Amino acid sequence: MPGAAENAYKVRERRIRDAVALKSPDRVPVVPNGPAWPARALGVKMTDVASTPEVSYKRIIAAYTGLGDIDGIQSPAYDVSTLGIQWLSRVSVPGRELPDTDLWQVNEGEIMTSDDYDLIIAEGFASWLERYYVERLPGTIEAFNRFVKTVPDALALCQEKGIVPFTPAVTTIPYEYFSGGRSLKLFLLDLFRQGDKVQAAMDAAMPVLIERARQTIRGLDLVGVWVGGWRSASEFISPRLWERFVLPYFKQMVEVVIEEGAIPVLHFDANWDRDLERLRELPPGKCVLSLDGKTDIFRAKKILGDRMCIMGDVPASLFALGTVQDVKDYCKRLLTEVGPAGFILSSGCDVPIDAKYENVRAMVEAVL
Amino acid sequence: MATTPLAQALGNLDEASVMESVRTKLDGGEAPLDILGELQAGMDIVGARFESGEYFLSELLYAADIFKLAGAPLAEGLKAAPRNNLGTIVLGTARHDIHDFGKDIVATIMRSNGIEVIDLGVDVEQQAFVDAIEQNSAQLVGISCLLTTAFDEMKQTVESIKDSGLRNRVTILVGGGPVDQACADYVGADVYCRTAQDGVSAAKKALGVS
Repeated sequence: MPGAAENAYKVRERRIRDAVALKSPDRVPVVPNGPAWPARALGVKMTDVASTPEVSYKRIIAAYTGLGDIDGIQSPAYDVSTLGIQWLSRVSVPGRELPDTDLWQVNEGEIMTSDDYDLIIAEGFASWLERYYVERLPGTIEAFNRFVKTVPDALALCQEKGIVPFTPAVTTIPYEYFSGGRSLKLFLLDLFRQGDKVQAAMDAAMPVLIERARQTIRGLDLVGVWVGGWRSASEFISPRLWERFVLPYFKQMVEVVIEEGAIPVLHFDANWDRDLERLRELPPGKCVLSLDGKTDIFRAKKILGDRMCIMGDVPASLFALGTVQDVKDYCKRLLTEVGPAGFILSSGCDVPIDAKYENVRAMVEAVL
Repeated sequence: MATTPLAQALGNLDEASVMESVRTKLDGGEAPLDILGELQAGMDIVGARFESGEYFLSELLYAADIFKLAGAPLAEGLKAAPRNNLGTIVLGTARHDIHDFGKDIVATIMRSNGIEVIDLGVDVEQQAFVDAIEQNSAQLVGISCLLTTAFDEMKQTVESIKDSGLRNRVTILVGGGPVDQACADYVGADVYCRTAQDGVSAAKKALGVS
């Protein structure tokens, strides 16, 4: 890493780590996220981004660093195969199932049957999963492996530019895998009708997911890692189910990530308002709660501000429909009410593909 | 309708009791339409508990599934009965968006609340919404999306409904991951639904049955 970039990297990494430790950095760090917007912003074909990991990471890094003085990028490397990997689902891809200019989309359906819970319990999750990918999602594991090989280069490119690749890998809990494979509606019914079996399958899966998280963090020497929650959000299930099928597994995963020396970024999409208090049980000053605009981030700060760093949450609709002034006003509110200490400014989940360029730049410039 | 043990059992998500009770009532010669009414009263209990924060989406879906299973044996007997739907909704995911799980959940819960659903599926053309409203004399339209790129499609769909002269006949509901009030305003919808139950409440209000 050249000297100037190395120094810039150190300053930015310190800024992020200070925010995570609930300190007041010299300024609030800004760490955008989203793999699709860079393609459209730079006029690259969606088909190329979706099919070639090298094209994807180079455009992501170029687009976000081109906005100005960012501190990091959450996921500088991205491939659509990761969606199939983590939700056990088919993915429709531009140039294949979708028009060339469209965004990739998860095509959810019942690919996993309720008998699969028995198989997971009987034969173990790792071998079941391997067969599942090969037999039911052909091509996914090959694409994912091609992508994985490119990740070190993506991280190195970030570092050469003095930018922190903050969370280039994703971990999650068995709930997310199963709810995707079964489809959300059938999975939620499973929780009522065969909860014991689902839980046994989750317990069989968890050690495998934990070991993979450990190996990924060690192998890539990660600063942080996503611990992702989407369909496991509080708004979707009752407290009784959430306490049983969601929280204990997140706790385990968070502890493992911390144990490995990385920062767990709870990438929690949808609405988690009801259970924010419960997140106080996670280790203080070690985690980031990243919200997408659906959870009340201002309330989250009040409840969790002394326990964990908050990240977010410029909403997708604001990037796409709002004006520069709207974005500036919202960011200012975030910086003063959720920041400046213990806060990282970012998009709520992804910067959407059709975000206005000037709106994304307005977010980045808001911290200056 | 006053609360009956069957309605209460569905309200309590007591699947075994609901199934047993429906069987007993049918065997005892009770009119399928009356039994259906009790099941719908059970769904009202579920809806009220959702709105009070006692139940969540998981309970709504479970109740709707019990309703569907318990209602299956009534189908034959209901063929001769007059239609008792509260109204009709044309439902679909906006063009270029293939996400269906939110839309499917809304369909399930609307049906179990006595609203007929014309489900157009995903990636729905604007004209398909217009045609379905006309053909089914629908009073309600529900458009869902998970992509911000679908906002313009939703807006154009509303425009198409307007151009066809049907806008004043329908209440348009929108919902989905990135949808918020600003999006609803942008596309020209009548109601932003944060949850499926919001959709049911808005539908019943529009139909004058809430």
